Amino acid sequence: MKLQEYTSSTHNFEECMKCTVCTAYCPVLQVNPLYPGPKQAGPDGERLRLKDPFFFNYALKYCLNCKRCEVACPSGVKVADLIQAARIKYDTSPPKWRDRLLASTDFMGSLARPVAPIANAVTGLGVTRTMMDAMFKIDHRRTFPKYSPYSFEFWMGRHEKEQAAFGEQVAYFHGCYVNYNYPRLGKDLVKVLNALGVGVQLLDKEKCCGIAMITNRMTKEATRNAKHNVSELSKAVDKGLMVLTTSSSCTLTLRDEYPSLLGVDNSSVRDFVIMASRYIYERLEKGAALRFKPDYHKKVAYHTPCHMEKLGWGVFSEKLLRMIPGVEFTMLDSACCGIAGTYGFKRENYEASQAIGQPLFDQIKAVNPDVVACDCETCKWQIEMSTGYTVMNPISILAEAIDNNKTE
Amino acid sequence: MKFNTVIIGGGLAGLTAGISLQKAGCSTAIISTGQNALHFFSGTLESMEDAPQRVTDLFAEAGIALHYTPGVRLMPMGTFKKAALSLEDISLFPETKIGQKALIVSFTGYHDFFCSFLAEGLEKQGVQCRIKLLNLPELEQLEKSPSEMRSVQIARTMDRIWETVVREIRILLRDEDTVILPQVFGLRDTSVLSRIRQGIPAQVVFTGTLPPSVPGIRTQILLKRRYELLGGTYLMGDEATGAHVYDGAVHSIVTHNLGNHFLEADNFILSTGAFFSKGLKSNPFEISEPVFGLDVEQAGDRSDWYNPEFMREQPYMKYGVATDSSLHALKGGEPIKNLYAIGSILGETRPELGTGGGLAIRSALAAADEILKNTKE
Amino acid sequence: MSNQEYDVIIIGGGITGAGTMRDCAMRGLKTLLIERSDIATGATGRNHGLLHSGARYAVNDPESAEECIKENMILRRIASHCVDETDGLFITLPEDDLAYQQTFVEACRKAGISAEVIDPELAKRLEPSVNPDITGAVRVPDGSVDPFRLCAANMLDGKLHGGQVRLHTTVTGFIKESDTIRGVHTRNLVTGEERDFYAPVTVNAGGIWGHDIAEMAGVHVGMYPAKGALLVFAHRVNNMVINRCRKPSNADILVPGDTVCIIGTTSTRIPFEECDNVSVTPDEVNLLITEGAKMTPSLSSTRILRAYAGVRPLVSADDDPSGRNISRGIVCLDHEERDGLKGFITITGGKLMTYRLMAEIATDAICRKLAVDKQCQTAETPLPGSEESSYEAVARKIWEKPSMAQKAAAARMGTRASRIRTRDTLDEALICECEEVSVGEVINAIERLDASTLTDLRRRTRIGMGTCQGEFCACRAAGLLAKSHGCIEKEREDLKEFLQERWKGNFPIGWGDTLREAEYTQWVYKHVLGL
Repeated sequence: MKLQEYTSSTHNFEECMKCTVCTAYCPVLQVNPLYPGPKQAGPDGERLRLKDPFFFNYALKYCLNCKRCEVACPSGVKVADLIQAARIKYDTSPPKWRDRLLASTDFMGSLARPVAPIANAVTGLGVTRTMMDAMFKIDHRRTFPKYSPYSFEFWMGRHEKEQAAFGEQVAYFHGCYVNYNYPRLGKDLVKVLNALGVGVQLLDKEKCCGIAMITNRMTKEATRNAKHNVSELSKAVDKGLMVLTTSSSCTLTLRDEYPSLLGVDNSSVRDFVIMASRYIYERLEKGAALRFKPDYHKKVAYHTPCHMEKLGWGVFSEKLLRMIPGVEFTMLDSACCGIAGTYGFKRENYEASQAIGQPLFDQIKAVNPDVVACDCETCKWQIEMSTGYTVMNPISILAEAIDNNKTE
Repeated sequence: MKFNTVIIGGGLAGLTAGISLQKAGCSTAIISTGQNALHFFSGTLESMEDAPQRVTDLFAEAGIALHYTPGVRLMPMGTFKKAALSLEDISLFPETKIGQKALIVSFTGYHDFFCSFLAEGLEKQGVQCRIKLLNLPELEQLEKSPSEMRSVQIARTMDRIWETVVREIRILLRDEDTVILPQVFGLRDTSVLSRIRQGIPAQVVFTGTLPPSVPGIRTQILLKRRYELLGGTYLMGDEATGAHVYDGAVHSIVTHNLGNHFLEADNFILSTGAFFSKGLKSNPFEISEPVFGLDVEQAGDRSDWYNPEFMREQPYMKYGVATDSSLHALKGGEPIKNLYAIGSILGETRPELGTGGGLAIRSALAAADEILKNTKE
Repeated sequence: MSNQEYDVIIIGGGITGAGTMRDCAMRGLKTLLIERSDIATGATGRNHGLLHSGARYAVNDPESAEECIKENMILRRIASHCVDETDGLFITLPEDDLAYQQTFVEACRKAGISAEVIDPELAKRLEPSVNPDITGAVRVPDGSVDPFRLCAANMLDGKLHGGQVRLHTTVTGFIKESDTIRGVHTRNLVTGEERDFYAPVTVNAGGIWGHDIAEMAGVHVGMYPAKGALLVFAHRVNNMVINRCRKPSNADILVPGDTVCIIGTTSTRIPFEECDNVSVTPDEVNLLITEGAKMTPSLSSTRILRAYAGVRPLVSADDDPSGRNISRGIVCLDHEERDGLKGFITITGGKLMTYRLMAEIATDAICRKLAVDKQCQTAETPLPGSEESSYEAVARKIWEKPSMAQKAAAARMGTRASRIRTRDTLDEALICECEEVSVGEVINAIERLDASTLTDLRRRTRIGMGTCQGEFCACRAAGLLAKSHGCIEKEREDLKEFLQERWKGNFPIGWGDTLREAEYTQWVYKHVLGL
């Protein structure tokens, strides 16, 4: 390389032109004056922090990690990565118990799932919510996702043989939500893939992708999970399998957050981990066909989750949904719903969280769809709780629309 | 994914081309590395000193009213520039004496609007000026943050409380025939602008602020919405990282987000802007075009790139991608037959197409016409 | 005594003049400082900002080395808010002779400089940006010092002790009675006002311009101007000073200073005519990057913010056999003894590091002339702002929960940050986002620190010194300045001059992100704002 032929900096912070476009698109800034905003928290703050960690600002915790600043940045600065990396590096106080609790989706799921009816009943109780608010500052107005009485892994175990019978195979990284709360989404994916002649298998043992651990500064735990998952993914990739996902946040974490925030090298597996909607779209583009129910009709409004926006793959979900005959498609303005994983569950963020989502909720009510489509489970909770509309993953809508008997 | 045309760069040029092609029934995709120079738009399409029906129609269909009359427009530092086709925010005047008396209104604690410079500039033209700062409790929330008394954040508030502003100004107004306000109104649409103009019994002149530009962001939102309504695919936050070029034609492009899912098309338009937007890249040795490695017209020696006087014209700003008469981009001196370069990536290599916004629109329409002509053939 | 009469008039508002003013005023002299431009506009503000340990001079110039280490320790005490105690490394690259290390360390010890040979592996851990191929490393008590702050604090203390400062005022001639300088004719370059000032002693502390001042007084001082070019990188790549352990040469010091780091320097003799307008050539830029990247490889791919050059006032002492050559660095000439011209002293040579010693030597000479018997106290008394040991302590003392801008202000102003107006949240609004400068801090600089132009403001607050180089803050600050002096036309020109001055440092390294930023700035000021 010749001297100064190109320049580089951590998360591209030196490419910032100080144009302030990111601040115009930050959802937090619009509702929380305590948050310094992505430009100040990110590239501006980075120069000062490099001078002296004294300049670390604890208000960085208000960042949602929605990455909309990065999508908006005309210069390619990884603004949100800068902010999260700074939190990891400089905020050395131990995470609160509440944050640990919220972030341990895997652990909580495995505890609650066997006693799902009780757990659901308990977390639904007014008194429990008041207690959680008082003890852990988990906002009492928040509804909790229900736990499933059986795990998706259990269900897959019972269908292993029939799945293995398919000539073509893919692996599925289901994530905590499908496993503990909503196995139906996993089953829907299996249905659609089977209809395309593809069998599904699981990784030997997946662990939570760790996104909630990252934003709650449980870096050690997150790194452990990341290393584990990369090695599990490698096994699948070595077998020649693509690894599909149905959650945009898990996908972003597996592909991009591992190397950029945790320093875990995933280069050997990254390109093989893709959203199921992209995989299915590509199959159909290459000539595979799905048969749809002739009488299917649904008014679908698609919400692009923040991390889907960051992945840049919303287009695949959109095009898939538009392909379904009988779907009346509306694209909602791309905007954050406000939940951002565990962020909205924290009492200090509840008001901000709902205020951030308000424009989206208003638009949904104005469109009045039969169902809102979106590829993220936490958006689903937030939108369902805040609007009363049902939210479905595009894969589930696809599964509902296909005519199993007639698909070749 | 395959389209009739893939457009790299989603600013004014890219969106104009995209809308034109979608309207003509071509499927297109726009790939845009984040937001673009429309966020710093002055509100006037530089060098477009007329109002071609085709352009005004295209914008009107997106909900953007453009107007033009010969004369001048008032700049934020109190100077005047030649009039050109402008958004409805921008007032165009036949002469620099824009009124007898002007009331300049801003907000306490807002440093991105230059009242005293405006007043001095106007007084030189014989306009008597009075400056008033509004102290609105609704802005207190913004004041709490040291970096948020900025145009866009104020505009969000103003779009809610414009009636208060009208009321306050009516109280302040004495015998002024002109009221000058910062461009912090109408982030989503222009209805607030007309309501304010109706509500104040004087001519209201919305004048620019430090970026981001509120009229610019609105223009971006409306054009993008129009483009998507016409069925266009806008891939925001993605970047073209490479291209497959065979036999003098582009086959597909590679993007950062889509990886090995290439974007194929019959035609490609390159509207990635100049240096700021990274349409042109520079290092100590040369200026280059990063996606296709196109020919860039430039002076060979770096010391010729600059004029040491800041306010003078800078040679580097004139450099741009070389094109043939129908805007096909050149590589190794040969035109790539289905690749068109439009907008500010052309620099001043095509002076007949103008500069700034005028260049963006003229070149975008020319490229779209060329594509449609070839598609029909 | 009328208000135009002083005990001493000091010409030059660089660090030497400011330091001398402080010393004189502290010894009870009625002092006037005259500066034709602003504080620290010459060599004072145009160097590395290195708090030398003296190690660099230990081998070749032990006397300077001893002066440096003594002053180094003094500045840590009296100027804590101007000093960053980073420590420094002298590294040996594979191409350098490791044997020199021993010579170096011995020389350091002789000069009283702590020089600890450390394992290269430890050096890499202490300073990860250092070239991984180093074969040797020595740790020394280098640091960085902010010359603008240091100069401003000295001047401020001079004022607090009754001294007066006239900036933007040029000396147009001397009031001379036969063989005695009685005072100076001056003109204020802003208002055009002409005034005469009288004093029994006039001190020439004009740096390289001291050559012309001496000529004006009718004496000759053999100086020659040596240009040194430097590059500012956009952020701190290193947190310790990095030097090459070899004979001092070009581009072998990388100093972390505030939010940036600076590589330098070169040394080229230039004609006197060029002193007012030095620029950095492409060859100098290439040399600085090439040599810098040898010490710290990442410099080859780090964004460069600007290039600048200063002029060192080198004194050819050998031409002055009659001169009082106090040390090999510092030159204090009593022109009565040397040239028979009474009431005139020249203080020159020396370094930023040894300014206090220079001031002490000059003030001793002044006191001798005035028959004043007062001891120098500048080595013991902290400068205003430096009463606390760290800016962390300052910030926490003034504000319960300091904001970013308050932390940054504490780092810039020390305890004087408590004087920043924080009437309401509006005073806390940021004018400069890159360097975190608030409205209150800008107003303080205008009202209390004699800032009358944007460039003055830059030296006192760092506005325009950050990544955007004034793109956003310049016009905001111009609004505040316009409000204070009331002349918009003047402010419009000031804004243009400021942007021109920034561009002058940008275009020599105008590529990559720097060129992008420049294009954007041009766009904003020309097309959006219509300046």
